Parts: sequence; structure tokens; C-alpha cells
Amino acid sequence: MNVVSRGVRNAFRNQVRTLSIVLILSLSIGLSLVMLIAHQAVGQKIKDVKSQVGNTINIQPAGYNPLSQANNALTTDNLNKVKSLPHVTNVIETLTDRLTTIGSSQPEGPFGGTTSNSNNQTSLASPITLNSDGNGSFSSSGGGQRLFISGGGSLPANFSPPIQILGTNDPSHLQNNSSATIKSGQLIDGSKDSNDAMVSADMASKNSLKVGSTFTAYGQTLTVAGIFDSGTRGGNDVVVVSLPALERLSGQGNVVNSAIATVDSADNLSGAVTAVKNTLGSSADVTSSLDEANNTIQPLKNVQSISLMSLIGAVIAGAIIILLTMVMIVRERRREIGILKAIGGSNLKIIFQFMSEALTFTILAAIIGLIIGVVGGNPVTNTLVTNSTNSSSQSSAGDNFAGPRTVKAGVAGGPVTFQRAGGGLVSRNVGGLRNTLTNINTNVGWDILAYGLGAAVLIAVIGSGSAGWLIARVRPAEVMRSE
Amino acid sequence: MIQVKKLSKGFKSGDTVVKAVNNVSLTVSKGDFASIVGPSGSGKSTLMSLLGGLDKPNVGSIEVDGEDITKLKDHSLIRYRAKNVGFVFQGYNLVPNLTAQENVMLPMEFAGVAKNQRRPRAEELLNQVGITDDKQRRKPARLSGGEQQRVAIARALANHPKLVLADEPTGNLDSANGKMIFNLLHKLAKEEETTIIVVTHDLSIAGKTDKTFKLTDGKLEPGKK
Ligand SMILES: Nc1ncnc2c1ncn2[C@@H]1O[C@H](COP(=O)(O)OP(=O)(O)O)[C@@H](O)[C@H]1O
Ligand SMILES: [Mg+2]
Repeated sequence: MNVVSRGVRNAFRNQVRTLSIVLILSLSIGLSLVMLIAHQAVGQKIKDVKSQVGNTINIQPAGYNPLSQANNALTTDNLNKVKSLPHVTNVIETLTDRLTTIGSSQPEGPFGGTTSNSNNQTSLASPITLNSDGNGSFSSSGGGQRLFISGGGSLPANFSPPIQILGTNDPSHLQNNSSATIKSGQLIDGSKDSNDAMVSADMASKNSLKVGSTFTAYGQTLTVAGIFDSGTRGGNDVVVVSLPALERLSGQGNVVNSAIATVDSADNLSGAVTAVKNTLGSSADVTSSLDEANNTIQPLKNVQSISLMSLIGAVIAGAIIILLTMVMIVRERRREIGILKAIGGSNLKIIFQFMSEALTFTILAAIIGLIIGVVGGNPVTNTLVTNSTNSSSQSSAGDNFAGPRTVKAGVAGGPVTFQRAGGGLVSRNVGGLRNTLTNINTNVGWDILAYGLGAAVLIAVIGSGSAGWLIARVRPAEVMRSE
Repeated sequence: MIQVKKLSKGFKSGDTVVKAVNNVSLTVSKGDFASIVGPSGSGKSTLMSLLGGLDKPNVGSIEVDGEDITKLKDHSLIRYRAKNVGFVFQGYNLVPNLTAQENVMLPMEFAGVAKNQRRPRAEELLNQVGITDDKQRRKPARLSGGEQQRVAIARALANHPKLVLADEPTGNLDSANGKMIFNLLHKLAKEEETTIIVVTHDLSIAGKTDKTFKLTDGKLEPGKK
């Protein structure tokens, strides 16, 4: 026999009481574990969401409308300032223009001849072919574009879809940050003003081009230096030249109509966004997926703080339960404590004995609590997350996460509107995050077991430590008083 | 040898102080069997707890083999109790969920006796006081009052104490059992050369002891033995 085994044995002196204490305590330990599991799982999810947000900033001229040719432009001078901001590691600058095939007719509207420069003509024909369903509406074979004709108008007979010409300082990245895989030839130099161009494999086969072939655009002769595949059909309806080359060809000077700045880490993203905004002022719209991601994360953060509060509350409740229990037990056994002291037991040994008793209660409770935690962790986490994300998505009205976005052209008498599907890089990513938001995996690992045991020990030590104070105050001389 | 000099202990109750032990001086020789008699509330138990180092006096000294235990620090006092004093109480005061053997082994554990020596010593002592065989493995609730008090005596003797203090050890027992307990204490005092001080109401018992001290209102009556 020693203090520990006596303590353990004492824990079973009153079996009904032991059972009820262990059950109550196991509920509090189980609840704290459930909350710990939820807290960890949600924390991991927040990390995942943040890592998916990426570390890029989209910069566009203020009020930029991709359907309009009469937009403000960013200047390369301004973007050079962005480039030199702290944490900004790279800025991809692009200028786009629309070319029409020589000899084709364009419908009235934003892309029509009225706004198109007659110089914007090319010898190339778009690889995209239109299929009519016979009802006056068309779908394209290219996945990236969808053509609508509102008002039931019809396309001119010799219509050919316009071709985008992209001037970029980084030809390895195409629009929407997709990368270009070179099939033959080579990547052009984005900083050099030359008449070298890259065309997609689709474009090359449609126009029978090989590396070294030439075609015309803006009345100039361009040479095919590389043939690429962007991986998307829409991305293949593109001619790529260097940024200075397009600035020269289109006669627009040192301007850019879109830029993507890369920040060294996602943690610095919000600071960098502010810095870019300050640098460019009102001339640019600066967006990152941060705000949208924060909206997505907010309900998770709420769950995280709820679970943390509940965790703390449950641990405190457990400590109070064991504290009151031990106070009750110590008061009940005052005389016995006096005897132990009288026959040579030190305060420390007696307190240890009662701590072992308290530990026995809490370890038993921890075992049951662990089962509660393992069984309850996943459903409780999912319930918490589902409830809070549902209520928040109602309040945020879903607009932040719009999928296909339609823009009404609103040109009087212009029956045909081309609308580009997809809400852009940012909203598409975050829409994806939203869908998987409630897909939270809870994980019960050794760390949870260790935390559970640690919490139990902590509860026992706090609870019985305070009882120890009562124990120390029992005067051994009391045993001499007859009962 | 125990030498008590001018010992006083008072308890506050409201504004007044009750002098439970009032200027007591006495001497008990090694191996003596002494008794303390006196009416209820005369301070017998208080004197016993001072002698056993359970409480500290307001003034005076208690020398046990030349060492003044009233000067000891708390932790030394615990050691003093564990190694030198055995207590027997009126209410037996065994630990209810320990067996007779375990109760006797308890002070040995506190005194730091080697584990393998505790049980044999407990068995030996219990046999000496007449608690044998399966009764040694019974818990107090399954022993009679006389048997419990015999276990308590075995527990008091566990660490070969210099001093055994028994406060009305026969008070809860019938006269036959009381006599038996008293004889047991007497026999052990002689065998183990232990000094024993017994508090009793029973003057027939007190008459058989080597020395008798009579307390009235905390004061020692002079002139007896
Ligand atoms: N802890 C205490 N607090 C207050 N008064 C006490 C305490 N212990 C003893 N007394 C008082 O001291 C006196 C002596 O008590 P006690 O030593 O128990 O007497 P006895 O054992 O002779 O019956 C009594 O008046 C008692 O009320
Ligand atoms: Mg008394």
C-alpha cells in the first residue's frame, strides 16, 4: 500500500457516488474534447481556405469593361511602381485587343464595326466555329465563350468570330493565369518589341501555320515563333505577342489593361493590396480573393470561437465538479485526515493521496469522455459548421460568389450582345471554396488523446489542489476530541 | 524519560480564554506505565495532544530524551510523531477502508520502513494482541469494538515508539474488554520497554499504574505517587 494505491482504492469507497461523479465529469471532458476536435478541424479548414486563396492581386483600370474598347488604361510607369512595392515579387502585365478577320462582317454592337478600329484586322480566321440550333441562338464549340443574340437578331452571313490579340510581358502565362504549353517553336520574349508571335495549335491548324509562317495584323507582317496549347478552347482563340509589340501595333502607347501582381506570401496579401491601392489611387480597380475568402472564412471563425469558448467552459465546469467533489470528500473525512496526520502522515502525502483519488475519477471520466469525443466530434463539428455557414450565406446574399456573370450591353438598337461566361478568376475560386466549406474532416489523433489526458490531469490537479488547502488546515489534535 | 515543565495551553472562546492545561510540570521515566485521571473537561486530552506533538503549548517545554519537542518545526514534529509516538484513542480511529493489517502498516509507511518489513511486523503485532488469521484481513467494520481497539494498539506500537499515549482507550468498551485492553497495554509496556501514559476514568485501573497524575481544571494535583 502507498499513497497512490490508497487514493485509487478510496475512489471506490462509495460506488454510487463514484459512478455519478465519473458520469458527470465524463460529460464535461467529452464536451471539451468534442470542442477541441471541432476547433482543430475548423482551424485546419481555415488554413486550407487561406492557402487556396493564393497570393495574387488583380489590377484593372478603374471601371474596366472587357466588352468596351473605350476603357481607361493603366500605364507601365504606374505598374513599375507596383513592382517595386515590398512583398510584390512579380507583376504580369497584359494588353488585349480584338482583331477581326479581313473580309468578314461583324454584327452591330459593342464589338461591331462602329467601335472597331478598321486597322484591327488580321489575315487569320478564328478556330472557333459556331453551331446554330436553328432558333436564332448559337452556341460555340469553344468552351470559354458563349454567344447570345438577344432580341432575336441574326448574324451576318460572312461572320467570323473575333480573335483576341494578347500583349504580355510574360508569355508563359495567358489570361486567367493559365499557362501556355509550347508545342513547337519557342516562347517569345515578353519584353522585346518584335513582330514575333505565338499562336495556339488550333489557330495554327485552322490557318495552316507552322513555326516561321507569317500572317498579317494591323497591316503588319507577324512571324509565328511558337505554337502553344493553353488547355482551353477559349484560351486558344488568341494570338500572343510581347507587350511592347502590341502597344506599338495597336498604337496605344505605354498602356496595359490588366495586370496580376504576385505577393511573396498569402499572409502579406492584404497589406500588399492596400499598398497597391495607395500607389495606383483611383485610376485602378485592385482586387484580390482576400475579401471574398474572408467572407467565406468568417462563419468558420465563428465556429472556432464558439468551440474555444465551449472548450474553456467545459474544462472549467469539469474542474468545478471535481473541486466540489473533493471538498465534500475532504469534509467528510476530516477525522480520518486527522488520524493520518497523528500517526505521522505529512500534509504532502495526504494531499497526494487525495489527488490520486481525484485523478482516478478524472481518468475514468476521461476514458468515457474520450469515447464521447470520438463519437461526437464529427457530427457536432459538421452541425456547427453547417448551421453557421447557412445563416451567413443568407446574409451575404450570394452575390460575392456569383458564377456566370451577365453584362447587359444596353446599346440602343444593338440587338446582339456577346456575353462571356464565368465570373472571373476570383469569384470562381471562392465559389469552389464555398461548395467544399462544409466538407470538414475531423481528426482524432494522438494529440487529441494527449490533450484529453492532459485536460483530465489538469482538472484533477486544480480540483484536488484546492481541496489540499482544506486538508492542510485539518488540525491533528482534533482526533483527540471524542465524537 | 519525559520531562514536562510549566506547560500551559489556552483556547479562546469568545472574549475569554479557557486554560485547558495550566502550568503543568511532571516527569515520567522510561518504561513507566503512568495514568492521568480527572473529571471531564479537566484538560487530559489537551495534555495528551501536547505530549504527542499534535498541538503546541503557549508556554512551557516538553523534553523527550533530552529534546524539547515544543521547539520542533512542523515537519520535524511529524517525524517525531511517526517515529516516537503511538496513539490509542477512545474511538479506535482506524481507517475504515483498510484491513487490520493495512492499518498497522500505515505508520510504518509514514516512518519510511522498508516495504518488505511492514507486513511481517504487522502480522507479528496483530498476533501479539490476539488478532489472528483472517481477522487480520478484515476491515474495521467487521471487527468488534474490543478487536478494533486491539488493532489500534498494534498500530500504535508499529514503529517501536518511545511513548504510547492512550486517551480513554477503554471508554467505549465493557469492563471485561476494558480490563483486557488495559492488561495488554501493561504487558507491552514491559515487553517493549515503552513508556505508556493512559487517560482513564477507571480508578481501579489507575491504581495499578506506576504513576498517577490527577488533573483538575487544567492544574495538576500535587502529592499523588
Ligand atoms: N480545540 C479546542 N477549542 C476550544 N476549546 C477547547 C479545545 N480543546 C479543548 N478545549 C477546552 O479545553 C478544556 C479541556 O478539554 P479536554 O482537554 O478535552 O478535557 P478532557 O479530555 O479532560 O475532557 C475544555 O474546557 C474544552 O472545552
Ligand atoms: Mg478527553
